[in-house]
Amino acid sequence: MRRGRLSGLAAGALPPAVFVLVLFVAWDLYVRWRDVKAYLLSPPVEVFRALATDPGRFADAAAESLTAALGGLLIASVVAFGLAVVMAHSRTLERALYPPALLVKVTPIVAIYPLLAIWFGFGIGPKVAIAALITFFPMLVNAVVGLRSIDPQAHDFMRVLHASRWQVFWRLRLPSSLPYVFAALRISVPLSLVGAVVAEFLSGSSGMGQLILIANGDFDTAGLFGAALVLAAMGVSLTAAVSYVEGRVLTWHDSSGG
Amino acid sequence: MSTGAAAIEVRGLAHRYHGAEGALQALDRIDLSVADGEFVSLVGPSGCGKTTLLRAIGGLLRVETGEVQVLGVDPEEAQQRRLFGLVSQEPGLLPWRSVEANVRLPLEVTGAAADVRALLTRVGIGEFARYAPRQLSGGMRQRVALARALVHGPRVLLMDEPFGALDELSREAMRLELLRLWESERITVLFVTHSIREAVLLSDRVVVMAPRPGRILDDLRVPLPRPRTDALEETPEFAALVTRIRAVLREAQ
Ligand SMILES: Nc1ncnc2c1ncn2[C@@H]1O[C@H](COP(=O)(O)OP(=O)(O)O)[C@@H](O)[C@H]1O
Ligand SMILES: [Mg+2]
Repeated sequence: MRRGRLSGLAAGALPPAVFVLVLFVAWDLYVRWRDVKAYLLSPPVEVFRALATDPGRFADAAAESLTAALGGLLIASVVAFGLAVVMAHSRTLERALYPPALLVKVTPIVAIYPLLAIWFGFGIGPKVAIAALITFFPMLVNAVVGLRSIDPQAHDFMRVLHASRWQVFWRLRLPSSLPYVFAALRISVPLSLVGAVVAEFLSGSSGMGQLILIANGDFDTAGLFGAALVLAAMGVSLTAAVSYVEGRVLTWHDSSGG
Repeated sequence: MSTGAAAIEVRGLAHRYHGAEGALQALDRIDLSVADGEFVSLVGPSGCGKTTLLRAIGGLLRVETGEVQVLGVDPEEAQQRRLFGLVSQEPGLLPWRSVEANVRLPLEVTGAAADVRALLTRVGIGEFARYAPRQLSGGMRQRVALARALVHGPRVLLMDEPFGALDELSREAMRLELLRLWESERITVLFVTHSIREAVLLSDRVVVMAPRPGRILDDLRVPLPRPRTDALEETPEFAALVTRIRAVLREAQ
């Protein structure tokens, strides 16, 4: 069964891998054939050279961005889920808490960066804060819906047994919410990267955002492509990781693809 | 508990649902008494308040007026004393739990102890203990729901169209299964169905209901001998009862 899953994964990864390879070849041919200026479009070879000459620099920057993104995602997910538990149990509290939560969602995060910098300094603090703010809402909304998505017959059954709220929560609400939590994570994970990189653009102090700013200042187009490739790879890996865990945890759920 | 107190006693119960288009009288002036160990069916067209009545008795619905007592206490207290078992039309199993773990749920909630495997065998799903609910047919799932409703030793079993979603063959098998189980356990059963034949085959009494407002039209004894089998359905006594109930329902229309 594990073999089947792995070979299935390989079979799933093969077509996009072939496509990306074809894309790189076409890109390379196009640049050579049309003699495109390197500062407009670097040939793939140059991009890989940029990555290979100083991989440590990319790796360090990626690690900094990743730490901020995942830190923010973790904090936001925990707080949002906790709040969702409260909101799922009380319509009144839901009505009270939803508008402020929506406010967090609709406010352009960039606009409050200076405030965050004042409060959290110029280190990792504001990056984590932005990643958290940007991922907060998807988790909150999904978790509330998920915690409410309990099977009414199963709920009736537990109520007739005089199950406590606590028992209903652990045995029914929490497991029922998991498909929604994973859906939220699939949205939030790439968003958290966006948040971290945006914060780095604004502060210019570290991570992939700073690396991009520097490459941009140096007219280092290959470096820009390299940074984009690294970020894309990070997004893909994180999303794949979420899907993998989801497949492991939600074997009972229809969307897990059994 | 052999005081002769009724297992279920409903007096002057009325209930309205308040919706966007005003109030709907779901139940009106309901009086019902079910003796300890009796099997009573509620039949009637959909919308006549069968589910509402069942939920009121099970303490799942706070009624507007009237009184409900279960073995001498109110439904809330009856819940606390773990007197109820419940089977609904949809099995309502937890899909992330195996069959066995689903049936163990009431034991976790109530702290009672029971031999889950033995019970699974009794309801004919012993070999499916480790299966996930999604791997089972509708009939098998309903057997799991039945086992889950009985495992903690309830005194009053509430069943809301438990076989309503099953195909005819599974339905017949489940009826006989339930008869066999009940004839050995003799707990009180309140059984909602809109199949008249099903009600007559299973019950000591059939309570006939009508809608708008939800009310009780008639309450008929079923003087057929037990143990019962499906052969009973071919007898003239059976046919006569079915005809009588059908006439009561038609008259109300
Ligand atoms: N939660 C509810 N809110 C509003 N109306 C309801 C609700 N539940 C049931 N009703 C209405 O009350 C009436 C009785 O419903 P119900 O008890 O489910 O009947 P039955 O189980 O006999 O089909 C129906 O007209 C139904 O539409
Ligand atoms: Mg109903």
